[in-house]
Amino acid sequence: MATPTLSVEQQIKQLDEARKLVLSDATYYERIIQGILPIAAPGARVELRRWVADFLAETFASPWVPAHEKEKMSLIVLDTLKSMIENPQEDAAVVKSVVQTAASLYPVVVRRIINEPNDSQTWSKMLAIKLRILRIWDTATTGVRICCIKFAQRVVLVQTNGPAVDPRNGNPLEVSLSMVPPNHPLMPPMNLEAEASGLLDRMLSVFQENISDAVLVDATLNSLSILIRARPHIANRILNVILNFNPLKQANSPMTPKLRVMVKSMEKTTRSLLVHILKRDNQHPLAGKIQQYVERMMRSKSDIFDEVSRKRGPPEPTDGLDAAKRQKLAAQVTSAPPKFHVPPLDPGPHSVAELFTVTTDDALKAFDVAQLSEDMVVKIGITILQRIDVDMLNQAVEGVRKRLKIMSEIERLVVTSSTIPLDVEDDDDDYEPAEDTEQILNKLDAAPPAELVKLLPPAPEVALGKFKLPDPLPMSPEEVALAGRGVVDRLFGLMTSLDERDKKSKSAGFNRLAASTNDRDSWVTIITRIATRASAGLEEADGVKVEANRPTPFSMSNTIREEMYNYVFMDFRKRIDTAVQWLCEEWYNDRMQMKRGVDAILHYEKWVLRILDGILPYLDSQDRTLLIKFLGDIPGLSAEVLGRVTGLCVNPSTVNMALQSLLYLLVYRPPAKELVLAAVEDVWNTYEDARPVVVKLFVKYRPDYGERFKAAEGAERANGVPEVKEVAAT
Amino acid sequence: MAQPQTQAGSANGTSNGERQDPGGFKLKFCTVCASNQNRSMESHLRLAAANYPVISFGTGSLVRLPGPSIDKPNVYQFNKTSYDSMYKELESKDPRLYRANGLLNMLERNRGVKWGPERWQDWQIGAPRLQHNADRGSEGLEGGVPDVVITCEERCWDAVIDNLLERGSPLNRPVHVINVDIKDNHEEALIGGRGILDLADSLNKAATEEREANPSGFDSGIAGSRAGFDERVPEIIGEWQERWPNLPSVWTLGWF
Repeated sequence: MATPTLSVEQQIKQLDEARKLVLSDATYYERIIQGILPIAAPGARVELRRWVADFLAETFASPWVPAHEKEKMSLIVLDTLKSMIENPQEDAAVVKSVVQTAASLYPVVVRRIINEPNDSQTWSKMLAIKLRILRIWDTATTGVRICCIKFAQRVVLVQTNGPAVDPRNGNPLEVSLSMVPPNHPLMPPMNLEAEASGLLDRMLSVFQENISDAVLVDATLNSLSILIRARPHIANRILNVILNFNPLKQANSPMTPKLRVMVKSMEKTTRSLLVHILKRDNQHPLAGKIQQYVERMMRSKSDIFDEVSRKRGPPEPTDGLDAAKRQKLAAQVTSAPPKFHVPPLDPGPHSVAELFTVTTDDALKAFDVAQLSEDMVVKIGITILQRIDVDMLNQAVEGVRKRLKIMSEIERLVVTSSTIPLDVEDDDDDYEPAEDTEQILNKLDAAPPAELVKLLPPAPEVALGKFKLPDPLPMSPEEVALAGRGVVDRLFGLMTSLDERDKKSKSAGFNRLAASTNDRDSWVTIITRIATRASAGLEEADGVKVEANRPTPFSMSNTIREEMYNYVFMDFRKRIDTAVQWLCEEWYNDRMQMKRGVDAILHYEKWVLRILDGILPYLDSQDRTLLIKFLGDIPGLSAEVLGRVTGLCVNPSTVNMALQSLLYLLVYRPPAKELVLAAVEDVWNTYEDARPVVVKLFVKYRPDYGERFKAAEGAERANGVPEVKEVAAT
Repeated sequence: MAQPQTQAGSANGTSNGERQDPGGFKLKFCTVCASNQNRSMESHLRLAAANYPVISFGTGSLVRLPGPSIDKPNVYQFNKTSYDSMYKELESKDPRLYRANGLLNMLERNRGVKWGPERWQDWQIGAPRLQHNADRGSEGLEGGVPDVVITCEERCWDAVIDNLLERGSPLNRPVHVINVDIKDNHEEALIGGRGILDLADSLNKAATEEREANPSGFDSGIAGSRAGFDERVPEIIGEWQERWPNLPSVWTLGWF
């Protein structure tokens, strides 16, 4: 499209024609977008870049482009947007459009990532754009900053819990945190929520600054309505900040025409938002406060502006008056926690529910919470506990405590007074005992059973002091084993569900902590430590008991070890590092145990051998480095371990590998030198076919091999029988 | 699509010359009054004649025009009745009365501007307006998203803001919403139209200046050295208010 022969004006004219085409038929969007992106290359004329950026902002805002189309196109444009916004030399108008586009795109991309949790590429581009926007938020020109505010608002909207909706619904306003699965690999909901909370604070900080820029304040106020309405759990936080905001505070300074416009604008915009909220929900918990605020603002406003227009200058008293007002406002908020009155209960029996009912609202009392689903109750409970004012909670608890106290006292009185008539016959109650049973029966007939239940049992229960749950029945060894297995399965299930760490990012070295990251490596560390250390020192007795004629008692550690072995063995070529890590832990633990006592049960040797036994049969000549690495990395070598390695010499294809790994150990693990040489000697004696290789590799360290080899060869040639024994004796 | 432009109402003669120049930047305007008949249409025509892209709306529930007596207004539905059919109806009812009170003149003007009154609340912001291509001032507003909304009465400003809050700003597009208080009669509408054109010129000048190539980039730390358009709007309105003290104004930055 961008033919160099055309002037910029001609190109823009062409672009405008293309735009009209897509406006008339949305099916062309994808093709047009693909065509225009190259025009916006970094070196292109600013007019063209502006046109493209503006077109993108328009396209992704358009209610006429279906959501799935936007999703498809988002994949195409993210790179361009990213390069535009990351270019510090970029034109402000372009950046402004890019930020607007990003705000419209954000929910679209999030919804895509919800459905495609593995599309990390798209998500990382979006994240880069987000990061950049949040970075330029404070430093860019006002025009860009307001768009950053709007972008943040959109992020907050997406990353907070909303009402449950069908995620297939195309409305971008309805993408919310509730749609993100709790175990999403790219977007952990907890992180999203925390980020949203931080961004909201940053948005609201505009109201706490001394000098308010009306453009920013208005941009914020006008973007908040949807958050207040669609995200009730953050609505009060937002409203409380607004209610503490005084848009008239700058009215003290000399009133320039500009300042006049700004102050008036902030006041009017604040009021419009609050009136809008009131209008939609006059039952809002803050309705009273909002009403007061709106009235106070209107009064102050007419005071200030009427006076200003009469006197053409700031009236002195406004200053003092205003400060006093602010003080009063602040004092009100901090020093007067809402007084919470818990009405005392009437005398007489009460249900537990009544005891804890602190509201005085009869309609609310009649509400049966059992109608709600359990998880909803839990959600409500958690939200309330997060939001509730500590003072209020304390007052409520204190109120209920008082009720209980009074009740238990009454209970005592009632109990005594109801027993007295039976024991000591009063004059008035003379003939009562006679009718006692009948009366009770009558009562039973008359009273609805539910009420009886309500009346009878709770009273004594409430009066009871301590209640101790009976100890659980001891578990049988089988149950313990089963439960233990379950725990181990969970551990490994979690581990395999985690990502394997990039090889590249692995550089922590000695500074690496066991669980500094939530990846598979960290879990391996944790699991191996649970296996090696958790029950260390507790298993001596087991070792003895095994002798007895009983099934082996369940050992958590050994079950984990068994699982670990299986895990490593399943894909040993990839998991050899895990094996080494595990064996290091075992070795370390063995050392610690040996320090503690002589009769410690050691595990390291056993598991090294098991692993070697497991993998050696599967090794082929390609696995040389694997074996060398393993032998070089494990913390302890023994004759038995080397014995397993020399065993490889039986197979001509692995002779080289076995001997080369021995050579490696000889060269790079000097403490093992004697062991290795003994092993080589063993090879020499056992595997005749390996001798040429032994000579080749080890002659430098044992020059006598060469002579022995020649001698042996000579002898063989002489009588056709290798004289192994004789040579070995020398 | 290009409308044959009359030179009428060209308080802004310079911008007429720019009409053929597609490179000249134009802010996109939207004018709003109660019935989309008098004040918003007068300013719609003015802005269109000065070659600004412009659309207009009413915020009332119905289009109300004066009738033979105060309790017998002529009431029409928004978006359903054209200016032309209103004109014909009133002309057939009582041509003398409606000529005398200026209604026929007004409708005559309006039917030359666009098809019929549109209601703000029913407007789908961002919907392509290609089918409006015969309207005056339609060129440039095909995308249906103006930069500046000018209302002609505080009640209308309130309705617009409340409606924008209600919509929940799904488009993420900033918009300056400015009220210019104009009494609802023909004379005041004329004066108000001139005031609005002056305001539009001032705003457009600032916006054009902002768009002149700025080689330092937006992130160079000297952003304050040259104030952007949005930042200058309060100042521009303040200066404008000094020039037009009888047209009280309110402004905010809202979102579509």
